[in-house]
Amino acid sequence: MNTARHFEPEDLALFAMQLLAQDEAAAVAAHVEQCGACRQSLTEVQGDLAAYAHTVDLHTPPAEARERLLKQVAREKKTIPIDRVPEKQEPEQETIPLASYGRGLGRGAYLPEEDAPRHSPAGRVLPWLGWAAAAALAFAAGNLYQQRDALRSIIATQSSTMNQAVPGVAAARQVMEALTDPTAKRVVLNATPPEKPTPQGRATYVASRGTLIFVADNLEPLPPAKVYELWLIPASGAAPVPAGTFQPDAKGSASVLLPTLPKGVEAKAFGVTIEAEGGATKPTLPIILAGE
Amino acid sequence: MYRETGLVNSPPPSREEDSVLLGQVRQGNDQAMAALYDRYSKIVYSVALRVLRDPSAAEDVLQEIFMQIWRNPGGFEATRGSLGGWLAVVSRNGAIDALRRKRPMDPVDELTLPSGYDLANEAERNSMMEKTREVVRQLPLEQRKTLEMAFFDGLTHTEIAEMTGDPLGTVKTRIRSALMTLRKALTA
Repeated sequence: MNTARHFEPEDLALFAMQLLAQDEAAAVAAHVEQCGACRQSLTEVQGDLAAYAHTVDLHTPPAEARERLLKQVAREKKTIPIDRVPEKQEPEQETIPLASYGRGLGRGAYLPEEDAPRHSPAGRVLPWLGWAAAAALAFAAGNLYQQRDALRSIIATQSSTMNQAVPGVAAARQVMEALTDPTAKRVVLNATPPEKPTPQGRATYVASRGTLIFVADNLEPLPPAKVYELWLIPASGAAPVPAGTFQPDAKGSASVLLPTLPKGVEAKAFGVTIEAEGGATKPTLPIILAGE
Repeated sequence: MYRETGLVNSPPPSREEDSVLLGQVRQGNDQAMAALYDRYSKIVYSVALRVLRDPSAAEDVLQEIFMQIWRNPGGFEATRGSLGGWLAVVSRNGAIDALRRKRPMDPVDELTLPSGYDLANEAERNSMMEKTREVVRQLPLEQRKTLEMAFFDGLTHTEIAEMTGDPLGTVKTRIRSALMTLRKALTA
């Protein structure tokens, strides 16, 4: 692919689905950053994908998931930092706007009454002031107005900073800068040993006898009520033939020896999928292991 | 008759209401967060479950996405289209990442949707879902399977080509054609 040319919609669709290789994706990201036409095409593709995503059958998440989320939300709510205005303020002028800003409101909007802190000095004092305090309140309101403007300015600055800090935007910018930087060091990296052993299977198959021996290592443990299932993919293009189910042991090893198979079926490939206990008659994607 | 949309037990939402809720989340309002969760958890969870086929892993994606909203509600802007559509795609991408055991999910997905899809509006969303399902059902089998393998199974065009024996170009064209058919049907 070439960053100097527009990208084909086919490539933008793959980019949107994060299916391009890293270097190709970086090239598209850099191009889209600067090309309005491709950005528009990408936006349309994203819309198509959003619509397509809604074709799934709907399932209700477990009730515990909601509870877990809200507990986490409550935990993190306590840790939201509260920024402070450097100038010393009168207590009744300081509490409401600073608290609202600290909680992320920060756009000069007044808090709804029910959202105001319960310990607000204004809330305690107001019922007792009456008409005699009207002048003082008017003065306070003027100060609040000025303070609101000051906060608006702060928030505008911080919003700008936050927008720049949105990781996706920052990442795209960094990609573009790195790709076009003539001083950048370019290094080709070769494969290094994986952090964990890669699952691997070895099948030995004699078509004329219908004899199959399959051994696998480093398999991941299965969810409850699931099994791995081995499939023979016929060279004739016929439907995959189930060739036995199996469970890995504690070390991730498993084998299928001499499953019942018709004789004389030439194999194009073998594959392993995860199926419900008892096995399936058709393979369920994704294919965990595949080999020809 | 419309199938279940995941938006039952809540008043018909609108994009404006989504933005109001996001604004309240920005203020630290956990009730607004709960409302957003009730509105969109089904679609987020269902998409992740479709990709991962593992309820526990799908729940993790669900949790992660909504915590991202809580931590950075500004990550989604109204200019990016509908929150529902954005969440559906973010859920898919997060689930694919989990499937590949890649890096942890990005805090937000930098994607923008066209304004024509108002997935936050319940009536429009119901209609769109039914229409989309019907269009997908009527796609040529090869296109339908190829798009499904790419979107829900996270298979690259190279992997799909290897599995199906089709040329790379054919795989890419099928994905593109399927999406174009979908778009034309939804914008007709």
